[in-house]
Amino acid sequence: MDASSPAVFVNGALLRRFIGQKVRAVIQVMRSDIGSVIGKSTDDQQIVVKGSPQLPLTTYLEVIGIAETDNTIRAEVWTNFGDSFDAQNYNELCKLANGEFRHMFI
Amino acid sequence: MAVDLTTGAINKMLNGEVASEADMTPVLQVTELKLIQSKRPNQEAINRYKVSLSDGILSQQGMLGTSLNVLVTSGNIQLGSILRVTQFVCNLIQNRRIVIISNLEIIVEKCNIIGGTHVQAGMPNEPGQQLGGGAGYVNTQSNGGYEQQQARRTDLNGGRYGVSANSPQPQVVVHNSSDAGRYGVSANLPQPQVVHNNPDAGRYGVSANLPQPRVVHNTSDAGRYGVPATSPQPQVSQRYGTGSGYPETSPSIRPYGSAIAGYGGSGLEQARAPATTAYSRPVQSAYQPQSPPMYVNRGPVARNEAPPRITPVAALNPYQGRWTIRVRVTCKGELRRFSNPRGEGKLFNFDLLDSDGGEIRVTCFNDVVDKFFDQIVVGNVYLISRGSLRPAQKNYNHLHNDYEIHLDSASTIQQCQDDATIPRYQFHFRNIGDIENMESNSITDLIGIVSSISPTGSIMRKTGTEVQKRALQLKDMSGRSVELTMWGNFCNAEGQKLQNLCDSGVFPVLAVKAGRISEFNGKQVSTIGSSQFFIEPDFPEARELKDWYEREGKNAHFTSISREFIGAGRQEVRKVITQIKDEKLGTSEKPDWITVCATISFMKVENFCYTACPNMNGDRPCSKKVTNNGDGTWRCEKCDKCVDECDYRYILQIQLQDHTGLTWATAFQEAGEEIMGISAKDLYYVKYEHQEEEKFEDIIRSVTFSKYIFKLKIKEETYSDEQRVKATVVRAEKLTYSSDTRFMLEAMDKLRTGDANSLPVKTESSNYRSDAFNSGIGTSGIGETASVDARREFELPAANQVGQYGNQYSSGARPVSGMISCNACGSNGHVSANCPSLMSEPQGEYTQGRYTGGGMPRQHVGGY
Repeated sequence: MDASSPAVFVNGALLRRFIGQKVRAVIQVMRSDIGSVIGKSTDDQQIVVKGSPQLPLTTYLEVIGIAETDNTIRAEVWTNFGDSFDAQNYNELCKLANGEFRHMFI
Repeated sequence: MAVDLTTGAINKMLNGEVASEADMTPVLQVTELKLIQSKRPNQEAINRYKVSLSDGILSQQGMLGTSLNVLVTSGNIQLGSILRVTQFVCNLIQNRRIVIISNLEIIVEKCNIIGGTHVQAGMPNEPGQQLGGGAGYVNTQSNGGYEQQQARRTDLNGGRYGVSANSPQPQVVVHNSSDAGRYGVSANLPQPQVVHNNPDAGRYGVSANLPQPRVVHNTSDAGRYGVPATSPQPQVSQRYGTGSGYPETSPSIRPYGSAIAGYGGSGLEQARAPATTAYSRPVQSAYQPQSPPMYVNRGPVARNEAPPRITPVAALNPYQGRWTIRVRVTCKGELRRFSNPRGEGKLFNFDLLDSDGGEIRVTCFNDVVDKFFDQIVVGNVYLISRGSLRPAQKNYNHLHNDYEIHLDSASTIQQCQDDATIPRYQFHFRNIGDIENMESNSITDLIGIVSSISPTGSIMRKTGTEVQKRALQLKDMSGRSVELTMWGNFCNAEGQKLQNLCDSGVFPVLAVKAGRISEFNGKQVSTIGSSQFFIEPDFPEARELKDWYEREGKNAHFTSISREFIGAGRQEVRKVITQIKDEKLGTSEKPDWITVCATISFMKVENFCYTACPNMNGDRPCSKKVTNNGDGTWRCEKCDKCVDECDYRYILQIQLQDHTGLTWATAFQEAGEEIMGISAKDLYYVKYEHQEEEKFEDIIRSVTFSKYIFKLKIKEETYSDEQRVKATVVRAEKLTYSSDTRFMLEAMDKLRTGDANSLPVKTESSNYRSDAFNSGIGTSGIGETASVDARREFELPAANQVGQYGNQYSSGARPVSGMISCNACGSNGHVSANCPSLMSEPQGEYTQGRYTGGGMPRQHVGGY
């Protein structure tokens, strides 16, 4: 993966701030289509992930990619996070990482 | 011979205008004369004469000075004599005026009684007697008949009054209203002096028409004699000063008695004693105020119970003499048996409350128990008298009184009508916040909302007996909550009721009377034998509490002054390993209990277990190391037994490491199993019996570098002159990132708000930040959670109410008393993240977790 630019932790609400930038998000897979995956962000917002995962998907999925719109990510990297995941914690992380502690992340 | 008596003198004496001869030397007539013998224990009998002196209108009791006795015995002073009192003192003794005559002049020796019916004021009439009659008085008893007595008196009296019973006399109206009434004159005249009479009258059902020979006190007597209302016994009525020979036992007499005691050394008292004994036992308890006087010619005359003098309970003291109290029973104890060197016995207690709010406990022993046990009902009002006062036994008696009453067979308890002025219960409620400052083992009352209740558990005491125990949480307006422990019966009866209420979602108000404050995990309240529970009571405080709870209390945060349940005395204090050293944990007298999140970096495999004694000691195995006897059996020193099969118990030495440092700790059986995931015995077999080295190593390897939440007990111990701080793993839990993360977030929140309270941000915070990226956890590479799971270097502020404790950060020491209170459920020992009752909320709003009641963490008692 191209690690040159770090990806920002986003949830649904934060995605719009980073349109055009590299973001990463964990979503809960709702539906999987050809070429896209519909999922729910950790703050219960619908996210569309464009691309096709190579591997079978588990419930939770992390995608790293470019934010296209405020609810779409064009994914480059897909990572399965398993079936149990604490979305709440992740959500908090996103908030913190972009809020108080962003200097630690970017 | 007509001599003028100083009329009005008596009145003045009574008023207090005339107090001694300096004021006047009245001329008075002797209307009564009686010898009182006082028997002092160490002296011979002293004779004193008691007189009634009249001024023609009123008469008054008095005592002749002993120097004057000779005049009486010689006959110079007799009934009817007219004297000028030249030296005297009027004293007020127990509300009675008594004249003490030191010197007098005899004016006329023999004279008819002058004046109309007298109202005797101030003194109960002695069983009057004819002069020279000696100690005895004319006894109804001895006469065997009322009639006779009257007959005897008649002559005496007739002259005196010359008035038929039914002719009202002007004086009668004034002074003798009572008499008038008594004489059947349709006078329902108010009886000013006769305060005492009225109750008597009422008591004995003496109607206004009942002729009552004597004033004041005699009413009762008359009543007692059941003088029928219509019986024309003028003589009777007029038997004024002449005692009917009934014992003056009205309470007013009592004081007189004691007053006289002042004079002549309880002369009167003793003098009475024979009288009363002659009358046989005052059948006090047989008295029922409501029943009409049926004492017609009954031999034994009971003492006058008239309770005009209700003593306030707070004024009771052992030196008071006879008292009567009107009280309500607030609490009745159980019948208890005991045996002491003197033999067996039984006793029971009950608590009383009077209208002034005075409380006192009453104890009855043995026979008295039988007498009264059934009679006492909680909530009823009784008149109690004649008990003895003893100093209260403070270790059993927690009422606010220095004395307690011991009833004996002479005591009386009468039920009387409910007195609304007496409250039902008396509480001295305290706020839970105050309790924190009260000392242990003190008794208090408290009231609060039951927020949770846990099921009954059974605890084994050291003595080996099992006892039921149940805990509940009480909250109140001070913002604190406390754990209330119920023991024994309370668990079942009240406990169940409370449980039902709580389960149904109601948070009942509970008032506790007499709970003991104990120091166990902070401050707790326990029930004792005499505790009482009132569920949803009807007090203003209860209603107030309920309203408050509805409004705010439900969602408010509560600091518990009872610390968490997990482990005895342990609080969930998160620390990092270097803090153990920095803060010198374990060096104080008591061990320190902390929690660390650390990884096992190394484990000694050589001696990971030992052979242990499997014998059960109570419900715990002995676990002492057993020695091999060589023949396959194992011997335990402590139990002194040999066993064939020994237990294997873990004794793991592990090295714990977190981001700050490392330490060694020892894990015993329970923790060891948790860590290893395999029982000690199996592991032992794997290694030694089956020699499966590989498998063994695999197991070990899997264990190391796993991260756990360890609960450690830190204590400094001395090993042959060397002080070492030892850490014991009390509990090891595998780390769940999810919950740990929440924990962290919590902590961050607190940190943040702590910052907001303008406390200097300490290095911890910066450490935290710098470490945020340090996700160097041995396992698990989940990025986000790991980074969030940054080390908790900062100390966690203690309270839920963050502002309250102000988050005292300091790089080294942290408030050791800090406890972690769960925002969600208000209990301690975990945060809302870990809260068993928390429902996961997507918004990460931890602070508003609803309390679901129940589900309190298990309580470990004993053990550690």
